[in-house]
Amino acid sequence: MKPFGDIVISALVPKAYRFEFRLALRHLLSGGLQTVLTVSAVATGVIIVIFITSLIFGLQNMMSVLLTESIPHVTVQVEDPKPKTLDTVENPVSSRIEVSASRLKFIDNWNEVVTMLRGLPNVSDVAAVVNGQGFASKGANPIGVSVVGADPELLDVITPITRDLVSGRYKSLNSDEIVIDTELAKDLNVTVGERIRLTSSSNQADSFTIAGIYNRGQGRGSAYVTLRNAQSLFGLGTSVNIIYIKANDIYAVDELANTIMALTRYEARPWTRDYSRNLTNMQMMGVSAYLISAFSLIASAFAIASVLIVSVLQKSTQIGILKSMGARQSQISTVFVFQGLGVAIIGSSVGAVVGTLIAYLISLPTRAAVAGQEPLALFPVKIIPLYIGLAMLAAIITTVIAAVMPARRAAKLNPVDVMR
Amino acid sequence: MSSTANTPTNDRQTNGKPPIVIETRGLKKTYVGKINVPVLFGLDIEIRAREFVAIVGQSGSGKSTLLNILGALDVPTEGTVLVNGIDISTLDEDGLARLRSDQVGFIFQAHYLLDEFTCLENALMPITIRHGEASDEDRERVLKLLERVGLGDQTNKHPDEMSGGQNQRCAIVRALANQPKIVLADEPTGNLDSRSGAEVFEMMREMNRLSGVAFVMITHDDRLAQAADRILLIEDGKIAEITKDEHKRKADRPTPAELNEPSI
Ligand SMILES: Nc1ncnc2c1ncn2[C@@H]1O[C@H](COP(=O)(O)OP(=O)(O)O)[C@@H](O)[C@H]1O
Ligand SMILES: [Mg+2]
Repeated sequence: MKPFGDIVISALVPKAYRFEFRLALRHLLSGGLQTVLTVSAVATGVIIVIFITSLIFGLQNMMSVLLTESIPHVTVQVEDPKPKTLDTVENPVSSRIEVSASRLKFIDNWNEVVTMLRGLPNVSDVAAVVNGQGFASKGANPIGVSVVGADPELLDVITPITRDLVSGRYKSLNSDEIVIDTELAKDLNVTVGERIRLTSSSNQADSFTIAGIYNRGQGRGSAYVTLRNAQSLFGLGTSVNIIYIKANDIYAVDELANTIMALTRYEARPWTRDYSRNLTNMQMMGVSAYLISAFSLIASAFAIASVLIVSVLQKSTQIGILKSMGARQSQISTVFVFQGLGVAIIGSSVGAVVGTLIAYLISLPTRAAVAGQEPLALFPVKIIPLYIGLAMLAAIITTVIAAVMPARRAAKLNPVDVMR
Repeated sequence: MSSTANTPTNDRQTNGKPPIVIETRGLKKTYVGKINVPVLFGLDIEIRAREFVAIVGQSGSGKSTLLNILGALDVPTEGTVLVNGIDISTLDEDGLARLRSDQVGFIFQAHYLLDEFTCLENALMPITIRHGEASDEDRERVLKLLERVGLGDQTNKHPDEMSGGQNQRCAIVRALANQPKIVLADEPTGNLDSRSGAEVFEMMREMNRLSGVAFVMITHDDRLAQAADRILLIEDGKIAEITKDEHKRKADRPTPAELNEPSI
């Protein structure tokens, strides 16, 4: 009759390693504080890794979402033959633009192009857009404004407007209706339902009823009209001058832009080209997450190595007697590597559970600061299961490496010396 | 005698005497370190199966050194050591470990049982080391031995739950677990009171008689030495066989200093 534990070991551990496994297990079970310390060291390492990665990658994710959710990820337009000079740079704030100077270059076969773009991989949504400069006025002073004409349903997906409305509506925008931002509304001293006049850079003018006012909180925004209205304002007939694309993977837009350039005669511009600084910052955040993770794992590896060295010293007489009974050097070192492995597996599991729990807890929304407003999370945590798995794997590998040195030391002990 | 995989070579069997299990020729040992300590100066020894040999000598004379070398736990500086016909100088680390596992059982002054394991698990340890796990037959055999040494009802106890004598008896069974050719015991009763010491010695004697395993026992106890088959005396780095009478006469002398005087 064998003890139950032996039956389990017999079922799980290859016969060649049962002695080593059993001894390592007994060392861990009888190790008391030592076992608790080493397991905690590994767990702490894994907790830090999970916490740091979910926090930093959560922040990174939030930043890129904030950055890209309101802008087209790729814009397609007619290539400029020469770089723009300073005085023709579009500046919606200035009211001193030379109105007659620019004629918009248009994409005449845009229906074809849009259909083609919709079929490309990584393309989520496409909207054909007329975009130009104009002046808005209510009686007196005209104020420069960027005018965007597009199908409201399509554009709302790519550069959300409805979401940011303060009053009125954008979807189901009628002809002769316009949506402006709060800045312009304030400057013109108008509200929803009132009429304003819009004069385009090609000197066409029309009157619009304000259907909605939005606030994006980032400077002066565009004025939105229907595609048809914009086409006639800028004299484009049935053409458009720009196509907006929303991508599925915001980081794979360079490839998408290259594909479009290869397939059409138009210039495709990914968002990353205009936001390269922000992108670099986010990459630096990622790098720092990896660095902190690596350092915390290395620190816990040192802790484990030193505890194991003490353990080897404590067990040196035992190692001697085992050798006198015929234990080979490799068997002795395997015992201590198994011991490290056991610590690693238990520690990283505990760390994964606790780390995920902590990350989850800080991701919970606090009570809504303002009634009716969406409650904000304490931290924009992003728990990535792959990273939890990788953290565990990395912890296990570093712990085993940390165990190798003490294990070899144990194997090399001379029984005659340790049993004197 | 129980049969094992390592049957002694027959050509070593002379005049119907039992085969030689350990043999040394010109064995020398010097501990090399900051200062070199020469301990053994050329020993020729023969130990045969079934023998129970006592080694006596003053403290520091090199008895343990010799025993460790006989058990392939240490290597000689010079000379040859044959364990069951195998020249240990031809073996690498793993070969020496294998030899200790298959041919030799050790008993020390301290029992050196592993605290983390029960008496039975400790007694099975050499088998576990060698084969990963003890077979049911091994288990039965070792359990019988434990019963024989009076530990039948102690098999599930840990070393700290047993007396010194009980632990040492468990260590005897452990030394026999792999059915070795020879058991090397270094002052096995040195830590025990005279009554448990005598018990432990009796157990070793009985195992020797039952299994035919050769025993080499270092002892300071003159009565135990007298109960051995042969007595070897280590003195001044040399070894010599002495008769029981010679040993008795030496032992009867009052002071240790006189032990060094040549005997008739
Ligand atoms: N590992 C060692 N290194 C150096 N000297 C040793 C070592 N082991 C034993 N000695 C020395 O060798 C001599 C014999 O020791 P030992 O064999 O233990 O004697 P005994 O067992 O007869 O008391 C002693 O002088 C001892 O100090
Ligand atoms: Mg000694």
